[in-house]
Amino acid sequence: MTNHSGLYQFSTSNPDSAGMVWTGLNPDEAREALVRKDKSKRDKRSSLKEAVDTFIKDGDNVAVGGFVNIRQPIAVTHEMIRHGFKDLILSFQSGGMAIDYLGGAMALAPDHFSFKRVELAYWAHESFGLSSIFRHLAENGLIEMEDWSNYNMSARFKAGAMGLTFIPCRSPLGSDILKQCRAKVAECPFTGHPIVLLPASNPDVAVIHVQAADPYGNCIIRGTDATCPEMAMAAAHTIVTCEQLVSHELITRFPKEITIPFFAVDAVVHVPFGAYPSSCRRHYYFNKDHIASFHALAGLLRKGNPGGLKAYYEDYIFGNHTFQDFIDRFPVRKLLEEQLSELENFERLA
Amino acid sequence: MWLTEETAYTPQEMIVVAGARTLEDNKVVFVGTGLPMIATVLARRTHAPGLIPVFEAGAVGPTLETGLPFSVGDSRTSSSASYTKGLNTAFELTQRGFCDFGFVGGAEIDPFGNLNSTMMGKFPEEYQKPRVRLPGSGGASDMAASCERTILIMPHEKRRFNEKLSYITSPGFLDGAPDARKRAGLLGRGPYRVITTKAVLDFDESTRRMRLIHTMPGETVESVQAATGFELLVSPAVSEFDPPTETELRLIREQIDPLGFFVKKPVKPQPMPNQF
Repeated sequence: MTNHSGLYQFSTSNPDSAGMVWTGLNPDEAREALVRKDKSKRDKRSSLKEAVDTFIKDGDNVAVGGFVNIRQPIAVTHEMIRHGFKDLILSFQSGGMAIDYLGGAMALAPDHFSFKRVELAYWAHESFGLSSIFRHLAENGLIEMEDWSNYNMSARFKAGAMGLTFIPCRSPLGSDILKQCRAKVAECPFTGHPIVLLPASNPDVAVIHVQAADPYGNCIIRGTDATCPEMAMAAAHTIVTCEQLVSHELITRFPKEITIPFFAVDAVVHVPFGAYPSSCRRHYYFNKDHIASFHALAGLLRKGNPGGLKAYYEDYIFGNHTFQDFIDRFPVRKLLEEQLSELENFERLA
Repeated sequence: MWLTEETAYTPQEMIVVAGARTLEDNKVVFVGTGLPMIATVLARRTHAPGLIPVFEAGAVGPTLETGLPFSVGDSRTSSSASYTKGLNTAFELTQRGFCDFGFVGGAEIDPFGNLNSTMMGKFPEEYQKPRVRLPGSGGASDMAASCERTILIMPHEKRRFNEKLSYITSPGFLDGAPDARKRAGLLGRGPYRVITTKAVLDFDESTRRMRLIHTMPGETVESVQAATGFELLVSPAVSEFDPPTETELRLIREQIDPLGFFVKKPVKPQPMPNQF
């Protein structure tokens, strides 16, 4: 068995007897957390502030849901920034605006908000460009990175969700990714061929935005599930924000469409436009203009001029007491435009 | 105005056309946003109506008639899809053998079709503080590992075609040794074509090094070599690639990308591995 993980220096390394450093919960702690968890079917409706205060703490490994700029949990990230946290670990496959917001907060006010490490496959914006925030933090050595592939991160959450300690995977054998992460390349005991073993990820908390939830936390996701169900099942705690809060009677008419069951969820927050300016299927398409203006300001920050981005944060995040205040900053016409665009993507009768 | 120009075409359009012509009917293609997606739609509307796109966020087989997606997880990939789950499911499809083709890109490519989309600088020394930090693998390394044949798309610039990469994100033929992929445990056959702004290339069967098979119109063997940072093999049958037909251009400009969001953009001055 090849062990490449020696390359990695963790900022708080605390290897177990097998020499493994687990970030978030180790598999035994993850099991214990679920055994002890209050799994009752109770009303979990909450405010953003209450949910973030209760379930996220300094140093936590936070799994961030969605995929690039699809269904990112923007409302929760804004609240996390207002609250302030230190030394978080962010885990995700492909991150866009939610990760940029968190990274921008750290770049501007590291004493108020910081994460020390990212476990990721991709941080940028596909068609909308690179992340200047990521470049700024990485190229200045301000965060620790552990690169994986999209499948690796997704499968790590899946292993966590399955109650396994690791999961085998075929990719990306032969790449340098396997030289800087905690994966191990082993010989398959049945074929003798090389196989990648990925350590499970059991985050302390998962933050996820969905299309519909009931007060108990049963969730329906439309379009891509991304890796949200796996994250919710793997994490010790899950905060869900939803576009639509529906009755238990309605949502249980479609039990096979419920991809996150109530007992995996700790807080349900009704936040229409909670993924905005990223997109949310059946509700709104991207606000490309807003994403572009944020990128322009982030680009200036990377070049040594943080003024514009600072003003943005003062204006749009710190200056607002609630996420609704953020949404109120957009003209109704603009919000309608994104809703109408989405109606063209997903046509349905009124 | 480029919209009314009937004979001139952009390098992006040439890449789209070359990508489309490389795809085969009734096969499954694992596709990213941008140029590969336009190539896929163009192929569907010309010689390959039965071509099936798969997106890494989980959508299988959408017709893409509601418009071009901006993301591989875009709502537009879910509309009319036969099946939509999530990332795990999509990558399980590639491992299982459902994906015949995959489009992969990067910031840097070497003679064996390995790609870098992670960092510029010394690896591993500078990994935690790279000279330039790129977005990371996304699904590119998974596609390069497990799609049966990969089509690599690159802007053809000397500084991007290097004998040695800063970092191997997406495996091609690795060190080029016979059976290097098999010995590493990789499933797919590996790089099939490289489509660039200047050429179409394949890989020599005995050395697995990149080999020039077509020059794009206006380019020569010499001009392509001059824009490449390593020695290219040249096929004895090297020929000029046929320029886009009027039909192909009309489909791209009037139906597939009428706003020119992707074909009017320069071919990536910056890398975006999921995209192109």
